[in-house]
Amino acid sequence: MNSRERFLAVLAGEMPDRVPIVPVVDGFFAPKVIGRANDDCFADGACLAEALTAAQLKFAYDGAVAEMGLGPDPNVLGCPVEIEGNDVPLVVETIVGGREDLEKLAMPDPWAGGKMEPVQRLVEAAAGGYAVLGSVRSPFEYAATVRGLIEFMTDFYRDPGLVRDLIEAVRPATMAVGRAFIKAGVDALVVKDSFASSSMISPEHYREFAFPSGREAIAELAEEIPVILHICRNSMPILKDMARTGAAALEIDSPVDLAAAKSAVGGKVALKGNIDAVSVIEKGGIAAVEAAVKAAIGAAGKGGGFILSSGDSIPLSAPEENIAALVEYGRKYGSY
Amino acid sequence: MEEILEKFETALIAGNADASADLADAIVAAGQATADEIFAHLSNAMEEVGSRYQTGEYFIPEMLRSAEAVEKAMAVLEPYLFESRHEQAGVVVMGTVRGDIHNIGKNIIVSALRAAGYEVHDLGVNVSTEKFVNKVRETGAGLLLLSAFTTSTKPALLDVMAALEAEGLRGSVKVVSGGASHSEKFAREVGVDGFATDVKSTLAVCRRLTGRDGDRR
Ligand code: B12
Repeated sequence: MNSRERFLAVLAGEMPDRVPIVPVVDGFFAPKVIGRANDDCFADGACLAEALTAAQLKFAYDGAVAEMGLGPDPNVLGCPVEIEGNDVPLVVETIVGGREDLEKLAMPDPWAGGKMEPVQRLVEAAAGGYAVLGSVRSPFEYAATVRGLIEFMTDFYRDPGLVRDLIEAVRPATMAVGRAFIKAGVDALVVKDSFASSSMISPEHYREFAFPSGREAIAELAEEIPVILHICRNSMPILKDMARTGAAALEIDSPVDLAAAKSAVGGKVALKGNIDAVSVIEKGGIAAVEAAVKAAIGAAGKGGGFILSSGDSIPLSAPEENIAALVEYGRKYGSY
Repeated sequence: MEEILEKFETALIAGNADASADLADAIVAAGQATADEIFAHLSNAMEEVGSRYQTGEYFIPEMLRSAEAVEKAMAVLEPYLFESRHEQAGVVVMGTVRGDIHNIGKNIIVSALRAAGYEVHDLGVNVSTEKFVNKVRETGAGLLLLSAFTTSTKPALLDVMAALEAEGLRGSVKVVSGGASHSEKFAREVGVDGFATDVKSTLAVCRRLTGRDGDRR
């Protein structure tokens, strides 16, 4: 089995030869590997593709996350974004001030301006040897981004109708970007639904606002490609709902107990996770990484259905040795 | 009167903005409650909301709902409060430091401080050192509250501290930091006067640093 086959086997519910290792090394971290700053690669697709490719080559994990440039449109539907040096890109302005702005929302053309180029380049570089994952925001996350998270979540009580209408209005963006990734040749899609987390909103609100649109989008995309649903921080209370979206795997973060997650939904979906990106990979030492990897595989590796990963994006200041250690110990403890 | 004030507090905790504003109207119309009594109920409400969040009973939307109820009530109460209040709790400048855009926790604290009677100048997120320093100078604030949620904000925090020192303001302003990345060690390394991680402890630190420790209902 090569890396790509191993990864896809798990998503297909088959037994791999060992636990696939796919940490979330994305455009926040990868530019460092080629000695560039994040803002260099922000608008330069060639730089981003080179960085993501070089990072995979360096660490030899089984799958790489493709991004369409960290930049503005269509990632954030036209919200102005700024980035300086190695800072994380900041959305500096939101574009939906109220219901009247819903009509003004222009759906993105992912192919405009060479935005998909880094994705195509990464797919070409991988050449079927390792998996390439595309990453797209859920309708719920797009809605929060264009409205601004605070206004969006205040609307839950102030104007729930606006929340629903906004989510409906941006759903085509999820679909368009998802389909562009599929067309560019990725092997799987990660649908990010970060704000649906039970660390942020109640399970009731998740079911009311995030789940219905998320399930529709995922089910539709899943007809064409395996989908992984990502929800940050704690997702334990909504795990069973997540498993009903049509996703082949759930990407879960460090606050979730892996063994409990496996027994709750392991029969239905694969799990991807959940080494703490901050306290272990950024701040811990190699021994901490080893212990965490061993514990994770021990908790969820049995019988397959598990992809070893960071729980969330790896921060820029994480030491490269820790990513290397994640891969090394993943191999050591993950063989079947 | 006490009954209306209790109802008012309950409405704030439930995040019922309309009821909060109506009850605020009633409080003003009755004209009996002192500013200190009203502030005590307002800040009790935000403390309670904060602790419900800590225990998992409330999530972020519920906190924002209460913060909005506080803002609505304050709009009604403000003229009345500042007419009848002998002395204000203090002037605060607050913002999230450069490179950081987390603003939910900051906004909650801003509402809680306003509810406790502070005059708060909220500078928003991704705030430059220069902006903090200028605002502190301009307002003569006794407290500067810095939100910093990611650990990569340490240089930005240190920069603010150094600039306050260089501008001769360090003696006149107490600096408090807080946010998800905070530990006591982190705060000590930055050299702030206090740090806190939730509504209740933030209000307590602010009271302590403004010498109003005993000033509690
Ligand atoms: C929502 C969120 C976001 C949203 C923010 C939206 C917004 N408008 O605020 C988005 C998605 C944009 C975001 C982005 C990022 N985030 Co973020 N985010 C969160 C999350 C999930 C919740 C934060 C929140 O609002 N909590 C609710 C409020 C009420 O709580 P609070 O913020 O802690 O505030 C309370 C106290 O801290 C205190 N307080 C707050 N301010 C102050 C100030 C003073 C003076 C005092 C005394 C007290 C005080 O009182 C508040 C009320 O109780 C946290 C996880 C977490 N558990 O905190 C991560 C978290 C803060 N994020 C994190 C990271 C790493 C990031 C990113 C770098 C991720 C990335 N790679 O993209 C970017 C950074 C962007 C940037 N440059 O700032 C990390 C920080 C880790 C670290 N130690 O460095 C956290 C902790 C998640 C994690 N991985 O562990 N994030």
